[in-house]
Amino acid sequence: MLSLIVFLPLVGAVLALLAGGRGDRPDREPLVRYIALATSLVVFAATLYMWWRFDPSSADYQFVEDRQWMPAFGIKYLIGVDGISLLLVVLTGFLTPLALLSSWDSVHKNVKVFSFFILALEAAMIGVFVSIDLFLFYVFWDAMLIPMYFLIGIWGYERRIYAAVKFILYTMAGSVLMLIAIIGLAWAHASATNGPPSFNLLDLQALTLSPQLEGWFFLAFTLAFAIKVPLFPFHTWLPDAHVEAPTAGSVILAGVLLKMGTYGLLRFSFPLFPEAATAFAPVLAILAVIGIVYGALVAMVQPDMKKLVAYSSVSHLGFVVLGLCAMNMQGVQGSLYQMLAHGVSTGGLFMIVGMLSDRRHTRLISEYGGLKGVAPRFVAAFLLVTLSSIALPGLNGFVGEFLILIGAFQWSPKLTTLAATGVILSAVYMLWMFQRVNYGPVTNEKNTSLRDISAREWALLVPTIAMAILMGVMPGIFLRPMEPAVARVIERVTGSLPTRVAAETPAGPSTSLRAGQPADSGQRTADLSK
Amino acid sequence: MSDFTAIIPIVIIVLSACAAMIAEAFRQPGERMPIAGFGLIGLAGAAAASIFLWGSDAQSFGVVRSDNFALFINLILCVVGVLTMLFSDEVVEREHLPPGEYYALTLFAISGMMLMAAATDLLVIFLALEVLSLSVYVLTGIRRASLAGAEAAFKYFLLGAFSSAFFLYGVAFAFAMSGSTRLDRLASVLAADGAREPQMLAILALGLLIVGFAFKISAVPFHMWTPDAYEGAPTIVTAFMSTGVKAAAFAAFVRVFLSTLEPLKDQWIPVLSIIAAATMILGTVVGVVQSNIKRMLAYSSIAHAGYIMLGIIATTSTGKAAVLFYLLAYAVSNLGALGIVALLGTAQNPHDELRDFAGLWKSRPGMAGLMTIFLLSLGGFPPLAGFIGKWYIFSAAVEQGYFWLAIIGVLTSVISVFFYLRIVVMMYMTEGSDVARPRVPLPAAAGLALATAAVFYLGIYPTDIIDLAVESIGTIF
Repeated sequence: MLSLIVFLPLVGAVLALLAGGRGDRPDREPLVRYIALATSLVVFAATLYMWWRFDPSSADYQFVEDRQWMPAFGIKYLIGVDGISLLLVVLTGFLTPLALLSSWDSVHKNVKVFSFFILALEAAMIGVFVSIDLFLFYVFWDAMLIPMYFLIGIWGYERRIYAAVKFILYTMAGSVLMLIAIIGLAWAHASATNGPPSFNLLDLQALTLSPQLEGWFFLAFTLAFAIKVPLFPFHTWLPDAHVEAPTAGSVILAGVLLKMGTYGLLRFSFPLFPEAATAFAPVLAILAVIGIVYGALVAMVQPDMKKLVAYSSVSHLGFVVLGLCAMNMQGVQGSLYQMLAHGVSTGGLFMIVGMLSDRRHTRLISEYGGLKGVAPRFVAAFLLVTLSSIALPGLNGFVGEFLILIGAFQWSPKLTTLAATGVILSAVYMLWMFQRVNYGPVTNEKNTSLRDISAREWALLVPTIAMAILMGVMPGIFLRPMEPAVARVIERVTGSLPTRVAAETPAGPSTSLRAGQPADSGQRTADLSK
Repeated sequence: MSDFTAIIPIVIIVLSACAAMIAEAFRQPGERMPIAGFGLIGLAGAAAASIFLWGSDAQSFGVVRSDNFALFINLILCVVGVLTMLFSDEVVEREHLPPGEYYALTLFAISGMMLMAAATDLLVIFLALEVLSLSVYVLTGIRRASLAGAEAAFKYFLLGAFSSAFFLYGVAFAFAMSGSTRLDRLASVLAADGAREPQMLAILALGLLIVGFAFKISAVPFHMWTPDAYEGAPTIVTAFMSTGVKAAAFAAFVRVFLSTLEPLKDQWIPVLSIIAAATMILGTVVGVVQSNIKRMLAYSSIAHAGYIMLGIIATTSTGKAAVLFYLLAYAVSNLGALGIVALLGTAQNPHDELRDFAGLWKSRPGMAGLMTIFLLSLGGFPPLAGFIGKWYIFSAAVEQGYFWLAIIGVLTSVISVFFYLRIVVMMYMTEGSDVARPRVPLPAAAGLALATAAVFYLGIYPTDIIDLAVESIGTIF
């Protein structure tokens, strides 16, 4: 079942490649597109089915598949989903068809290879989220770089080669050290148990390492994930990659790839090395807060919309890391929620910018103005997506940010206060951009005949906006399956520091949650941490 | 008769080389003879004989031992040979290389390589080394009209002769110490000395043997010949010698250092560690600035030699098996990549400059795709052979606590990815000139398909080969 979800995109990818025929044949284009889209929709349906069958009361991995791969080294093909990865898999399934649709009119160069890489990327991304074996995880993690590299490098904008090479080298430099740490962990397991090495996450969590080794391994893992997030000051690859990538690439990059960093922190760095994680959490949190404020300030002055959205991602992902560092129920659940919400809203923003760029072939804010009169429906959709990005209550961004701030406040009021300025700043840069693009008189001649939204574009934006609203008003359905798994991670990480757990037993937060929280979930979150 | 059992694979190769020579003698000028076919038959026979001998641990004359380790190397060499033959058929014709000499020398070189892997006597190792070296020197300069080829061959020959002299000098000291050149006698003398400080003679022998081997595997600082020889040789010869010679030299290296000289490992591990680190760093850093693909892959082969040395430094069974696996993974990836360069070239246009690859994706998407796969495998991306090879080597190093070497290894492989990607950027992201590129004939296409299948097989399902490698090192050490 789960293997099917991982490898179905790959099958579709090969089919699309074969259907394309020899050479670059425009007449086969529709066929290739429909095969790719159909595959991604089937995968999405499969992920939804998996969600439906998922038992939300269990913290264990479900749909587990366990096969020997390289028994001599204890390497297994071991996959499964729990509450942490479930929704990220669904998010991947949700965004991939949108990414394919978003390139419908803008990509005409060798569509079969384009579709191939998008679907191969989907397979690798899902593989990253479902791997329980660290070796398998690394295989998917590294394999994912190649399709993304080609997507940026072939179908990107002007400086695409620079951006593509920077992307792959930057990410690789971080992840190879993680490879060493993974190998080191496996051998540490071998020497601790006097048996063969193991790459199974569950085995490795049971390992007790010397503090020094734990510290180094934690740093190696965290560096890989921090680059991916990207955490300040490792974020410099992101604006380049985002700006130069084609719309579909940006949507997937912002929507899913960045989450792998935060997912990795939550899944691997923190539970594998709880002592080191607790020790380094303040440092990470400070970097995250710097990222929040810095990203927001830099976003404010960007003349290019795509770059603005890219820096806003640095800021938003800073919140996620902050929530993780707090390591309490609200913080971590908020982080996970923010990961999903950011995937939807930033994916939407990139689609919007892509639509403008398709029409006018420029992404500069100064080229636009007064679009409200020209393309009112487009602007309405734009507004909703913008609002969801700046965390308006009732939309998806709010729940995550709010939970993170509550969680983080219990942990470090000072940092949280600083981080909260990011909430305001995000409203400033997003709304200011929105205002400059859409309000005022039409200053640029070329915009007077701007086409309003097409049926295909509705097909892109309606699901995005619907998801944003759904996540805003009914967060419970998303938070419920996360809870047990999140609780287990927190127990694992903070269990080694009982004083913190005691300090965290909150009566207060639940009331503040009730005050600010529209949904039933807050109540449950608070209850669970008692 | 039983004395000959162990050398059956070698004899088969030698016979096919003789057949190639005889065929050449009867060839009418201008006639196209399928001499590569003799080679393929011989290689298939040698492979079959190696499989037949598997586990028998046959010995010949006390100086050749076909243990599983040697047989595994034989199989790697057969893969190398088969791929070379499949690519050669077309390339030899196209570049007007003398076919009889070419095939005979290639096959003799393979026989030398096999002998080198199986030899258990320092003098026989030297003999095998000379057989393969002399063949390869001539192959390097086989384009008699080419100045670059002559220069490369001469440079290779001079430096190679030097290294042979070092090696022989090392053998002499070893003989002076133990009164024999047999590896087992040497080992027992060293083991008896183990408790005491090693003798001066042993240290001298050790140092000189390291120099000799370091030349052949092109480790820094004895790598100087590599870029010139690889660039000047016909591309198909580069493909052959970068994989075959390396496999044979590493086989003897492992056998001598990890069995016979293991008692001295406290002496040689620090030296080899420094050499390995320097080799990895220099190979990748200098590789970055190359604009000729063959030079670039020459530096990459230097770097790969550095990675493989980590397996020797680890001195564990993981390390030894990792060396074997890595040699195979490297052989199929590198032969594939250089094979493509060779197949795209003609006598007029060697197609080995970086810019020649511009826009290859447009004109030859299949070739570009395969080249990408081989390069990514060399760069160590999953799910390809090179990734498993690197992972195996690094885990051998980490197991023994050589974190620093493993970290240098992974960081340099990131640098190497940069230059492999330069070729990819050229092929996919740069508009190209419309160079006429020759078609790929069926045998060569079969060779490419074989190499691609091997790269994926070793990358996705390496278990069987890993088990085989583990089994083959189990018998000797």
